[in-house]
Amino acid sequence: MSITSVLFLAFLAVVIIVYWAIPYKKYQWCVLLAASCIFYLSTGSRNMIFVLTTSGTAYLAAGWMQRLTDAHNTYVKEHKAELSRDEKKRLKQRTALRRRWIMAVTMLLNFGILCYFKYLNFALEQIGTLVGFLSGRRPFWNSVDLLIPMGISFYTFQTMGYLADVYWEKVRPERNFGKMFLFVSFFPQMTQGPISNYGQLSGELFAEHGFSYKNYSYGCQRMIWGFFKKLVVADLLSPFVAEIFASYENYPGITVLAGAFLYSAQIYADFSGYMDIMCGFTETLGIRLAENFERPYFSKSIAEYWRRWHITLGAWFKTYIYYPIAVAKWNRNLAKRMQKKFGTAAGKSMPASVALVAVWLVTGLWHGASWGYIAWGGVNGLFIIFSLWMEPVYEKGKQKLGIREGQFWWKAFQTVRTFILVTFIKVLPEVGTLGDGIGFWKRIFENHEIPSSFTGLIPGYKGVSDLLTMAVILFGIALMLSVSLLQTKYKVRDWLQSRTRCARWGAYLLLVLLILVFGTGSSKGSFMYAQF
Amino acid sequence: MEELIEILMDINPDVDYEKEQSLIDGKVLDSFSIITLIGEISDHFDIEIGPRYLVPENFNSVQAMWDMIGRIQGES
Repeated sequence: MSITSVLFLAFLAVVIIVYWAIPYKKYQWCVLLAASCIFYLSTGSRNMIFVLTTSGTAYLAAGWMQRLTDAHNTYVKEHKAELSRDEKKRLKQRTALRRRWIMAVTMLLNFGILCYFKYLNFALEQIGTLVGFLSGRRPFWNSVDLLIPMGISFYTFQTMGYLADVYWEKVRPERNFGKMFLFVSFFPQMTQGPISNYGQLSGELFAEHGFSYKNYSYGCQRMIWGFFKKLVVADLLSPFVAEIFASYENYPGITVLAGAFLYSAQIYADFSGYMDIMCGFTETLGIRLAENFERPYFSKSIAEYWRRWHITLGAWFKTYIYYPIAVAKWNRNLAKRMQKKFGTAAGKSMPASVALVAVWLVTGLWHGASWGYIAWGGVNGLFIIFSLWMEPVYEKGKQKLGIREGQFWWKAFQTVRTFILVTFIKVLPEVGTLGDGIGFWKRIFENHEIPSSFTGLIPGYKGVSDLLTMAVILFGIALMLSVSLLQTKYKVRDWLQSRTRCARWGAYLLLVLLILVFGTGSSKGSFMYAQF
Repeated sequence: MEELIEILMDINPDVDYEKEQSLIDGKVLDSFSIITLIGEISDHFDIEIGPRYLVPENFNSVQAMWDMIGRIQGES
């Protein structure tokens, strides 16, 4: 069931009707569970087995950990007078160790499944290259034909986050397996997130919701906006960007540079469009999903960009990788040694730097099994760590030059600089191999030809219709930019709601018309982030 | 609690820590400052602040941090 198909729209309509029609609100979550099962089964029963494995193992492990804690607490309470301080400490350590084992084995199993599907072929390829290099013979094994279960990167991370939260006793484990399964498999976030945390999402999914016309109309508005971004901007851009990426050697540097910027627009429209469709849909049900975007291209640094792009993935890495490594005792001891040798500034930035290296290595690998993605993660991490180390120098420089943080021109410079950097880094793993990515960069700087015709300017130019398509795309990008600019000052949806009915419906109809005329023929039916 | 405020003043002296109630939610302290803060608190009070304590509610105000330190000391 493609998300941009009429069938999916009809499916959403049925879910909305049934959700509001059932007489007992306390069973609303069962409607979502049934819908999620139908959606997932429609993609193949094989996918269902993997989701069941992840939710089942997490459910059992979380329950087991909680029972151990409860049993420990009860025993200590009942034998409080008889137990010495040392005995209490020993018992606590024993329970903690058992709980750690349960968590570690469950995580190993689930991340093992994820790694098997995502990284086995990459690992075989690398080992094959190494063996070939050392022995001079081709390896005897071939790559394995693997079909990655739908959404596995997203639901595995979300579920393992839940398990860690139960282990750290941040949340109580879910006792109802149906609810647990819904938390893992909630269909609007199945293929591309958001990667929610249990504390936030469970409150939304399992609460009883009353119908609100405002939620309903705002939700529909947002869905239309999402379909516009996806079908009109992202999908129309797709063939142009694909052509530049495939044959960048044949285009002038300026066209290749335009291709890089168009790719930035495409991936933002594609991914945020999906989020708008799904967040809009859940809003009609009164459910708020975690937001994944906050106008990321307006960021003033790469670190800020990553707090505003794919927010829930960044939050996951921060909670489950960055902080645990950064505050670990071994890391703080390392920082103290660094401080003695290289001074206070180096020592202070060490825990965060070590954690950032780990985060960016995993972020690169999460996005894909290739050297391109590893390099992409490395470059992002390098920029962030370098900025951290250089901050005192920047501050001194700014003072000398009389630059104040709030100055408009300085903010504008930082925003444009960050957008350019982000765009260049983004294309690195997307063009093809890592070599292709570097070749793409080189083409931009080394080729100074001026395109003399539309063929050189518009990739794959076939005729006047392509000019019209490009005009629609540029209109779509300008509209997205205008909405983002308005959002910095106003609540755009409230503002739209306060317009006359005629103006409001005029805007909706224009978007729907553009979707029907330009969007329906172009849809690939797939989303870029679904591949991760 | 004064020693805790001194640690915070070293990290960012431009904040009124006695009044501020949303150091994390209000993005007054960034993730780098939090890491530095946790290191300083751990060393100064000789405690281990594990990941389970790393929730905004424990760092939003000086009082919340002070309470967390007390809880960790009580557990060990």
